[in-house]
Amino acid sequence: MHGQVEHVKRSGKWLQKGGFRSILPHFLPPKCGFLFTLHPPQKVRYAYMDPVLPYLACLILALAIYTAIRPATLTFRIGAIVATVAAAGWLIGIVAGFLSSLEGDAATPFFIIFSLALIGAAVRMISHERPIYCALHFVLVVIASAGLLLLLEAEFMAFALIIVYAGAILITYMFVLMLANQAADPNEPEAMMSYDKIPREPAAAVGVGFLLLCVITGTVLHGTGQLPDQPKETNTWQTLEKLPKQFESSVLEFDATFAWPPQQNEQGVAIQIDNNSAYIISAEGVRLDLNPSMAPTNTQSVGWSLVNDFPVSLELAGVILLMAMLGAAVLARKAIDLSEREKQQAFTNEETQS
Amino acid sequence: MMLASFGAATLASYLIVSGILLAIGIVGFLVRRNLIVMFLCTELMFQGAAIAFVAVGRYYLDYSGQVMVIFILTVAAAEAALALALVVFMHKQRDTLDPDVYGELAE
Repeated sequence: MHGQVEHVKRSGKWLQKGGFRSILPHFLPPKCGFLFTLHPPQKVRYAYMDPVLPYLACLILALAIYTAIRPATLTFRIGAIVATVAAAGWLIGIVAGFLSSLEGDAATPFFIIFSLALIGAAVRMISHERPIYCALHFVLVVIASAGLLLLLEAEFMAFALIIVYAGAILITYMFVLMLANQAADPNEPEAMMSYDKIPREPAAAVGVGFLLLCVITGTVLHGTGQLPDQPKETNTWQTLEKLPKQFESSVLEFDATFAWPPQQNEQGVAIQIDNNSAYIISAEGVRLDLNPSMAPTNTQSVGWSLVNDFPVSLELAGVILLMAMLGAAVLARKAIDLSEREKQQAFTNEETQS
Repeated sequence: MMLASFGAATLASYLIVSGILLAIGIVGFLVRRNLIVMFLCTELMFQGAAIAFVAVGRYYLDYSGQVMVIFILTVAAAEAALALALVVFMHKQRDTLDPDVYGELAE
C-alpha cells in the first residue's frame, strides 16, 4: 500500500517535470531523452544526442524510397536507389558514429558492404515492376543478410537461411509466379499488368514507413545505451559440460593420457574458469587447460539451445508445419467430376486389382 | 573463446539495418498491388526481424536469438505454403493477382 502511494507520488512528480514531453520527447526539443521507458532510465551511459540529424537522414531515406517506387525511367530509378543506399549508410553512420565515439568500436568493411547491398536489393525488390525480378532481388537480400549473420558468428543460421529461404521458399514463390503471373496481352509477352506498373498510394505508404523508421531510430539511438551490461564470457563451456560424450571425446582427442572422468567441484561442475582460461582437473590432480578447438561449434550450441531451452516451441513449430502442409494440400486439391460410367470403371479397376 | 569485439555501437548499426529492412518491407507491402509480391514483402520483414534477433543474441553471447531465427524460418515456410496455395486458388477463380479485385469477396 505504502509502496503504491509512493509510486503514484513519484509518477505525479515525473509527469509534472516532463508531462507529455517525457512521452514524446523525440518530436519535441530535448531536455529528457527517455521516450521509450515510462520510468526514468536506471542508468544512462551515453549523453543525449539531438535526434534532428538522424531524423533528417530518415526523411531523406523516405524521399529516396518514394522516388524509387514511383513509375519513372530506369536511369531515374537507379539514381533513386543509389540515393536510398547513400541515405541508409548516412543514417547508420550517424547512429553508430555517435555511439562509438562514446564506446569506441566500429563497423567492419564487410558490414558496410553487406548492409548496403541488403538495403539496395530490398529497395530494388519493392520497386521492380516485374514480379520475377522482385523474387530474384529477394534472393540477393537473403544472401546479403546471410553475410551479416556470418559477421555475427551465426554460421549455422547463415547457411540455413540460404538453403531454406533462397533454396526452398523462393523456389516456391517462383513456381507460383510462373503459374499465376501472365502477360497482360497474349500477343505481347513483354506487356505488364497495370497492377504491377502503378503503385498504390506511394506517398501514404512512405509516410508510414518514415514514421516507423523514426521510432526505430530513436529507440536504437537512446535505448542501446541503456541496455543491461554484456556478460563477460560466453556460456560455451557450460554447453560443453552438458554434452558428456562430446566433452569426453574432445578432451581425449586432445590429450589421450588424461584420466577420464575429471573431478567435479561442490556444484557438480567439472569445467572451472579462472581469468579467461577454462580448465579441468583429472582424478589424479592433473590440470588440463581447455583448448578453444574443444568448444562446441555454433551448430551444436544452437541445437542444444533449441532442444534444451525451447522444447515446447520446437513441438509447436512441427505442428505449424504439419498444419501448413495439410492446409496447402486441401486448398490445392481439385475435385474431378466423373460421370457415372467413369466411376463404375474406376470401381471395377480397383476390384480387379485387389 | 576469442570473439571479435561487439559493443553497443555495433549492435546499434545492426539494429538500424534491420529497422530499415522492416520499414522497406512495410512500404513494399502497402505499395505493391500484386498478391505474390506483397507476400514477398512480408518475407523481407521477417529478414529484418531475424537480423535483429541474431544481433541482440550476439551482444549477450546467447544462442536463443539464433533459435528464434529457426522459428522465423518455420513460420515463413508455413506462410509461404499456405499463402501461395490461397493465391493459386484465388487466381483460378478470378484470373488476376490484383488484391483490389478480391475486395468484393468481403461482402
